Amino acid sequence: MTARLSVQELSVRFPLRGGRTVAAVTGVSFDLDPGECLALVGESGCGKSVLASALLGLLPGNARVGGAALLDGLDLLTAGEKELARRVRGRRIALIPQSPASHLTPVRTVRSQMEETVRELTGAGGPKLRGAAEAAAERAEFPADHLDRYPHQLSGGLAQRAATALALVGEAPLLIADEPTTGLDRDLVDRTADELRRHVDAGRGLLVITHDLAAAERIADRVAVMYAGRIVELTGAASFFGAPGPRHPYARGLLEALPERSFTPIPGMPPELDALPAGCAFAPRCDRATGDCAAVPALAGSRAGAVACHHAYSHAPETADA
Amino acid sequence: MPEPISGPTHEPLPEPIPGPTREPVPGPATGSALEMRGVTAGYDRRAPVLHGASLTVGDGEAVGLLGPSGCGKSTLARVAALLHRPRAGTVRLAGRMAYGFRHRAPRELRTTVGVVFQQPRLAADPRLTLADLIAEPLRATGRRAEAPGRLPALAASVGLGGDLLARRPHEVSDGQLQRACLARALVLRPRLLICDEMTAMLDASTTAALVAAVEEYRREHGTALLAVGHDRVLLERWCDRTVDFGALLPR
Amino acid sequence: MTAPAPAPAETPAEAPVPAAAPRRGAGRPPGARAWRTRVSAVLTAATVLAALLVPAVFPLDQQAVDLAAKLRPPSWEHPFGTDELGRDLLLRCVHGLRVSLLVGVVAALVATVVGIAVGGLAGALGGRTDRLVMRVVDVFASVPHLLLGIFVVAMFRPGVWPVIASVGLTHWLSTARIVRAETHSLRSRPYVDAAISGGASRWRVAVRHLLPGVLPQAGLAAVLMVPHAIWHESALSFLGLGIPAHQASLGTMAEAARGSLLAGAWWPALWPGLFIVVPTLAIAGLAGAWRERINPRVRSELTL
Repeated sequence: MTARLSVQELSVRFPLRGGRTVAAVTGVSFDLDPGECLALVGESGCGKSVLASALLGLLPGNARVGGAALLDGLDLLTAGEKELARRVRGRRIALIPQSPASHLTPVRTVRSQMEETVRELTGAGGPKLRGAAEAAAERAEFPADHLDRYPHQLSGGLAQRAATALALVGEAPLLIADEPTTGLDRDLVDRTADELRRHVDAGRGLLVITHDLAAAERIADRVAVMYAGRIVELTGAASFFGAPGPRHPYARGLLEALPERSFTPIPGMPPELDALPAGCAFAPRCDRATGDCAAVPALAGSRAGAVACHHAYSHAPETADA
Repeated sequence: MPEPISGPTHEPLPEPIPGPTREPVPGPATGSALEMRGVTAGYDRRAPVLHGASLTVGDGEAVGLLGPSGCGKSTLARVAALLHRPRAGTVRLAGRMAYGFRHRAPRELRTTVGVVFQQPRLAADPRLTLADLIAEPLRATGRRAEAPGRLPALAASVGLGGDLLARRPHEVSDGQLQRACLARALVLRPRLLICDEMTAMLDASTTAALVAAVEEYRREHGTALLAVGHDRVLLERWCDRTVDFGALLPR
Repeated sequence: MTAPAPAPAETPAEAPVPAAAPRRGAGRPPGARAWRTRVSAVLTAATVLAALLVPAVFPLDQQAVDLAAKLRPPSWEHPFGTDELGRDLLLRCVHGLRVSLLVGVVAALVATVVGIAVGGLAGALGGRTDRLVMRVVDVFASVPHLLLGIFVVAMFRPGVWPVIASVGLTHWLSTARIVRAETHSLRSRPYVDAAISGGASRWRVAVRHLLPGVLPQAGLAAVLMVPHAIWHESALSFLGLGIPAHQASLGTMAEAARGSLLAGAWWPALWPGLFIVVPTLAIAGLAGAWRERINPRVRSELTL
């Protein structure tokens, strides 16, 4: 089972008291094919997580949503809560939780939680249930002899696999992982990333939302860089992390801030989402900014690489227009 | 957990750490910023997380402590900051022997260490504005009058300014809050700064900015640093030397 | 390090959001909750205003006995009717409400202060003190409130203050437990570690960092206790142990109405009953709204 996610001009606004509005997500468009992993990276508070919540229909009540997010023709943004609960979450989109340990019920064994989810999502029962639960555990490479353990008896890596196994029970073709590696040490990050990658190679689509560039590099086919609620660069992971490198000054700055590179921070701080500057939101921090930046640059380019900047670093021949 | 993480415990103390007496702080304020010898500590009497760990951080030196999550490096950091009482072993800060932990540690010894924690949301009192958060140690030690003179420069040195200082934690981002927590740890001019996974929750640019702020401050004040984390590349870039947690334990 | 991004010159040239669709979480619609809160607020305000203003505006004697007009059903002259001694029931209800509210509010305050002190002490000190104090609380809690309350009033001459003492001294247990649990969880937060490391004394940590975190919960417990205290006062008075019989209180009135009921008069029992139930429900409703404000995840039904 495969599914293609197509997000078109997605915007999320939160009206505040006093007439101000938080522009959490603005005009975001991207496609995600089966067997592809897209990493959404950016500083904390840039709107990444709001985007994920919008796709899962988990926004708070005061959110105003615009645009469309089509999953095989079904618009996730206008679908009713009943539809989402019965037919989408867990069945067509699975959420890989941020901290697996807190997603498992501490007082029940992994097996009983697995069987409950299997029964809920597939309707399996009786003697078949046990087998189905074991098969589900195996899909996430959760060892069958650990099924009767309680969550606190599992290592961090195994807890992650258990949580992933639960998320995958419904055979959802699209996975969304929100900061799956935060707070994990490097070994565990690598292992988690490799686990997730296996599911991509098995034909699932994966949207990873992360601020961890190393994890993104390890797992992603394409990278979308988000800044102040907009996607400013959307390009192949190989050219982003390797040569010739990102084209948007912000993306470049983010990458250069890594300790394995020049370890220099981008000056300043991201703007507040309820008080975005006119024009390009990055201009106040950008050393390439000119008068042109008073107009918001559109995301332009091909599927191979698109950038929203008037002064992008020019190395891709077809859009070397800066 | 049979014993709460914090607060006094009541079993007899192991020999090297005398009970809470109120004698003047012994020893001169010289020597290594931090010297830990044979420290055994944990939260469960039967299974200590730390067993006989020793670590020295020289005056003005920056040491990175590397280890996987759950290995006990945060416990070590808490012991070094006098926030957790070890079962055995000695802790010396600037040459002075620690003879009490948490509130039983004399204030002037406690405040020789500044600590930045992993999760700024949990480490910041949600009711205080960032300005009050940073100034809180000054108020707590009866030096409130110094706040107006010191605060703007210190806040600027960690990249905070403008109306951010008047906001409360829920109105700022994780990165901004962590900057405030760093300023709070520095406001009493500690001899040793402990950063326990300070940047684990933060993005690359904010990480680089916070490290740059720490290094700028250390250049000016000669503060020693113990940076605890799991990111080898980061700590090797940041610190004078790095130690693997396993190397602290006796063979 | 440069200063943060400059303030915006004007509103951003943002793309208009078409077809904005509000999305709501699951659960009871917010409208119903707001409605409940509004009704509770109006009823509570009306109760308090009536208790404060009616005796001042209509300085009639609620004790005026008129045996010629005893047990009259509701009429224009006596909207609530009269009791077995011919006293106006409306006036007596309002006066009874004053006593009940006074007892309820003051007793809840007493109970909350005691509860915060005991629970905070146990929670902040921990260890042996904590275990000892909480065992004492358990012992107290194992005796029925009313029995304990009767024991306290029995030591004094009947009156308002012994009733307040009786209610206040028997109702602090739950507050103590709440405050102690809350203090315990706050005490192991890193921000307490940060305060200690910043040189804060034990007292400062307790007063500046722990107490403010506990107050919303304790305040909620206090409001929830007001209806409890009113019920308790009514129960004591009904048993003849609380407010002296000649003084109007909702409990003494309900007690006196028992005889009238046998005589076929329903109104002397109805009004005090309503005056006990309506304000307590209204206050509980307000407390429920407060609880949802403190902790929006709790969508509980109102509990008394």
